[in-house]
Parts: sequence; C-alpha cells; structure tokens
Amino acid sequence: MPDASPFDHRPDRELGDALRQALSDGNDARFAQRVVAAADQVYGDLGANLQWWSTLTEWARPGLVAAMLVIAIAAFSAGLWVGRGSATAANGSAVLGDPLGSDSQQLTVPVLLAGRQVPDVDEVLSVALRR
Amino acid sequence: MEDAELAALAQAGDREAFGELVTRYAGPARRVARAILANPDEADDAAQDGFLSALRHLGRFDPERPFGPWLLRIVANAASDRRRRRKVRTAMPISPDLPARQPGPDVEADKERLREGLRDALATLPERQRMALVLFDVEGYSHREIGEILNIPDGTVRSDVFHARRALRELLAPWKDWKEQG
Repeated sequence: MPDASPFDHRPDRELGDALRQALSDGNDARFAQRVVAAADQVYGDLGANLQWWSTLTEWARPGLVAAMLVIAIAAFSAGLWVGRGSATAANGSAVLGDPLGSDSQQLTVPVLLAGRQVPDVDEVLSVALRR
Repeated sequence: MEDAELAALAQAGDREAFGELVTRYAGPARRVARAILANPDEADDAAQDGFLSALRHLGRFDPERPFGPWLLRIVANAASDRRRRRKVRTAMPISPDLPARQPGPDVEADKERLREGLRDALATLPERQRMALVLFDVEGYSHREIGEILNIPDGTVRSDVFHARRALRELLAPWKDWKEQG
C-alpha cells in the first residue's frame, strides 16, 4: 500500500485488485440479464404513463380551443347585458335632466317682465346668454 | 456509443440501450452494493433496485455530466436504504485463525480465504469509508467524483480513503502474503 501519508492520493493498485476480486463473483452477465428482464416491467409502466400522457396531449388542443370558444361566448353575452344596463342607465339620466336647464328654456324676456317678483340674477343671466 | 447517448435511447424506450448500460456498469454497481451489504444476494437486489430506479428517473440525468457517478450514487442509496431497513449489520471481525494459516497446497482455497478476510475487514469500516475506498481504489473514480456520489466534500473523501486504507492495512497485517495471494 503506497499511502504512507494522507497526502498520498494515488490509487493503490494492489489493494484495489485484491478488493475487486473479493467483491466480484464473475456473474455480471447473469446479473445484467436479470436486471434487463426486470426492466420490462418498468418499461411497461412507463409505456402506460406515456400512453396516458399522449392521450391527454391529443385532447389538449381541441379542449383548449373549445374552452376559449366558451369563454368568448360567455364574454360576448356578458358584454351585451352590460351594454343593455348602460343604455338603461343613460336613458334614466336623460329623463331626470337638468332642472336648471329645463327651467331656463321656458324663461323669456316677456315672461321675466310680466312676473310679479323681481327676477333672480341667474335667470336674467341665463336669458341674456341664450340670446 | 457514449453513455449519455445510450441513456437518451433508453429513456426513449430502447431496451437494448438500457441493457448495454447495465452490462457496462453491472460490475461497479454490484461491487459498490457489496461494499455496503455483505450479503451478496441482498447486494444484487440493491444493485438491481438502483438500475431500475435510474431507468425510471433517466429524465433527471444531466447528459453533460458522467453517467457512472450518477448511477452509482443511486445504487449506493438503494444499498444504504436496504441496510437501514434491516437494522445495523453486525460487523464480523476477521477470524482470529485466518492470518495464522499459511497458504497451503490448495491455492484456490487460500485465495478464497483471503477474499473472505478482505470482505470481513472491509465490513468493519464505517460505511462511508468503505464506499470511498472501493470507489477510489477499485473503480478508479476521482476524489471529486466520489464527493459527488457520496455528497461530501473532496477533502472528506481523501480523509476517508486514507483512514480506510490504514485500517485495512492493520487488519491485514498478519496476513503477510495478501498481495501475492490476491
């Protein structure tokens, strides 16, 4: 054995050969056959998994397209409802109108002059600006 | 064909490629398993477990790195798991009468006795030292590769190899002709 010190890091060929013989029995070929035979089961399992995965992959694209269509239709329908709601809201606000505006449309100079009370400054300004 | 190519083919379902990998690494895998498990049948079961586990997880193998250390790490883990499951194996010291016996006319019997003595001596070492020694002196891996296999620093590998050699030398000292017999 050459390792007189821990700094000697060369492989010890003599010890290595002796250990190799001690740990080997010469039946590696038979062992390899045994492992390859056992691997058939693993390949079978892997094949089943691959089949499952490939089936899923085949269905993934049409499934994705179908899902997108459903989402698009749902979004379109929801958009229509939202649109209707907006229109209704817009009509409501138009019905309510601007009280000042509606009043000022009825005010004219003769009306102001015929009134018993002194007209409000805003009403006079409104009539003047319209002219 | 390179190991990485065989591994890629094996992963793609080529059983012959996997068979070639098994043939290439059957010896090292069995020896590493036997360094951990003294029972040869149990060691072969562990080595087989390691090969099959490697086959299932070939997708995790980095083809840029060497295949051997990756595989042997899996085999070593499989052997260590088996050893832990069946509790601690009682390390058998070298038979006291073994060194005293001189090589006789039956050379094969003497060689077998020496191999048995080596296995027993190896079994007295801590598991990590055993593996470091076998991977370095028997399988020829570098300290860095062994560090990757055992998941320990290079310096620890050097220390383990040194201490394992020293312990084996002491255990085999009475067996004066072990070099010639081996």
